[in-house]
Amino acid sequence: MHEHTGTGGASGWVLALLPLSIAALLYVLARRRLVSRGGAWPAARTWAALGGMLCLAVALTPPLADRTGYFPAHVAQHLLTVMLAPLLLALSAPVTLALRSLPVVPGPTGAPRRLLLEFLHSPLLRVLTTPLVVAVLEVGSLYGLYLTPLFGALHDHAWLHVLVHTHMFLSGCLLSWLLVSPDPMPHRPSVTVRVVLLIVVAGGHNILAKLMYARALPAGAGPVEEVQLGAQWMYYGGDLIDVLLAVALLAGWYRRSGRALRHERRRAASLDRTAPGTIAPS
Amino acid sequence: MSNASSQVSSTHAAVTSRGLPGRSVLAGLLIGVGVAGFIDETVFHQLLHWHHSYDKSTPTAGLVSDGFFHAGSWIALVVGWFLIADMHRRRATVPRRVLAGGLLGWGAFQVYDGLFQHKVLDLHEIRYGVNLAPYDLIWNISGAIGILAGIALLFGSARPISLRPGVDVPETAGQHGQTASR
Repeated sequence: MHEHTGTGGASGWVLALLPLSIAALLYVLARRRLVSRGGAWPAARTWAALGGMLCLAVALTPPLADRTGYFPAHVAQHLLTVMLAPLLLALSAPVTLALRSLPVVPGPTGAPRRLLLEFLHSPLLRVLTTPLVVAVLEVGSLYGLYLTPLFGALHDHAWLHVLVHTHMFLSGCLLSWLLVSPDPMPHRPSVTVRVVLLIVVAGGHNILAKLMYARALPAGAGPVEEVQLGAQWMYYGGDLIDVLLAVALLAGWYRRSGRALRHERRRAASLDRTAPGTIAPS
Repeated sequence: MSNASSQVSSTHAAVTSRGLPGRSVLAGLLIGVGVAGFIDETVFHQLLHWHHSYDKSTPTAGLVSDGFFHAGSWIALVVGWFLIADMHRRRATVPRRVLAGGLLGWGAFQVYDGLFQHKVLDLHEIRYGVNLAPYDLIWNISGAIGILAGIALLFGSARPISLRPGVDVPETAGQHGQTASR
C-alpha cells in the first residue's frame, strides 16, 4: 500500500479525506443552525452537497486512487472530481447557506460573513466569471494537460500533480457555479449566454476526447488500448455530465420563470377584481 | 390603476388568442435539430456503424464542426423541451408552428450534414463500399422536403392550445407570455 505512486500512498488519501469531512460537517451544522432558527432548507440541496463530497471521496481513495497508472481509472477520477462533484456542489448552494447561517453582527464574530460578501463583490470574481475567461480556463487547461507533455510531467512531481488537479477542480467549480448554482453571483450572464457557453465547453470536451482517441494522447499514459478506452470514457462520461448541466441550467430557469408567472397571475387576478366599475386611487 | 388593468386584460386577450407563435417555432427548431443529431449519432454512427465520425484521416475542420454539432444537438433538445413545457403551462403553445420549426430544423440539419459535412468538409460518407448516389439523394431530398414542409406550415392560421375545442382555460391562464424571456 505504501509504495504506490499517485497522490502519495495511504497517507495521501487520508490527508485528502480530512478537509472533505470537515466541509461536509460544516455544511450539515450550518443547515442545522438555519433550521433550528426557523429557516427552511431544501433537502435536495443537502443531498447534493453530500453527493458531491462522496464523488470527491471516491475519486481520492482506493481503489481508484491506487490505480492512477491505469489511464481509464485516471479518466474516472477526472470525471468525478472535475465534472460531477462541481455540478453537485454548485447545486447544493453552500454560499447561500453560509450567508444565511453566519452571524450578522459587527466585530470579529461577523467577520466571516463580511469577508464572504466582499469576495462575492470583488473585481477578481467579476473577471473570473466572464464567460470567455471561464471557457478558456475550462477547455484550455484540459487541452494543455492532455495534449501536451504536461501529463507525463505530473508523475515526476507530486506538487505539480496536486497543483494541476486543484486548478482543474476549481475551473470545474467555476463553470458549474456560473451555469447552474442557485448561489448569488453578481453580473451572472443571461440564460442564453450560459447555454452558448455550455455548447462551447461541451463541444470542446467532445473534440478533445476524439483527439485523444485518434492520436493516443496523452503521451506516456500507457498502452494505446488503455488510452483509447480512457478516451471513450471521457467521450461518453463527458457527454452525460454536459447534458446533466444543461438540464440543471434549464430547470433553474423553468423554476424561476414559474415563480414570476405565478406572481404575475396573482397580480392580474387582483387587478381584474378591483377594476370593473370602481375607480381605484392611482 | 384602471388603465393598468385594461392593459393587463388586453395583453391577456392577445396572448390567449395568438399564443406564442415565434417561441413555438424556436422550440420546434431546437427539437428538430436535436432529434436529427440524435438519430445521426445513435442510429447511423453507433448502431449501424455506417458512418465513421472519426478516423485518422479526418480533417480537423470536420472534427471541430462535428464536435460542436454533436454537443449542440443534445443541448438543443433539452432547451427545446423546457421551452415547450413553459409554453404549455401558459397555454400558449401553437402546435402547427412547433411542427413547422421541427421539420425545418430536422431538414436543415440533414442538408447541412449531407452537403456541408459529408461533401465540403469530407468528414465522412453515409455508407462505405456501396454506390453512394441513391443514399446521398435520399438523404438530401428528405431534408429538402422537411425544409419545404416546414416553411409551408409557417403560413396559414394557427391556434394556440388554449383555443382548442375541449380545452378548459383557467381564468387567468396564458397571460404575459413574455415574462420568462431573459
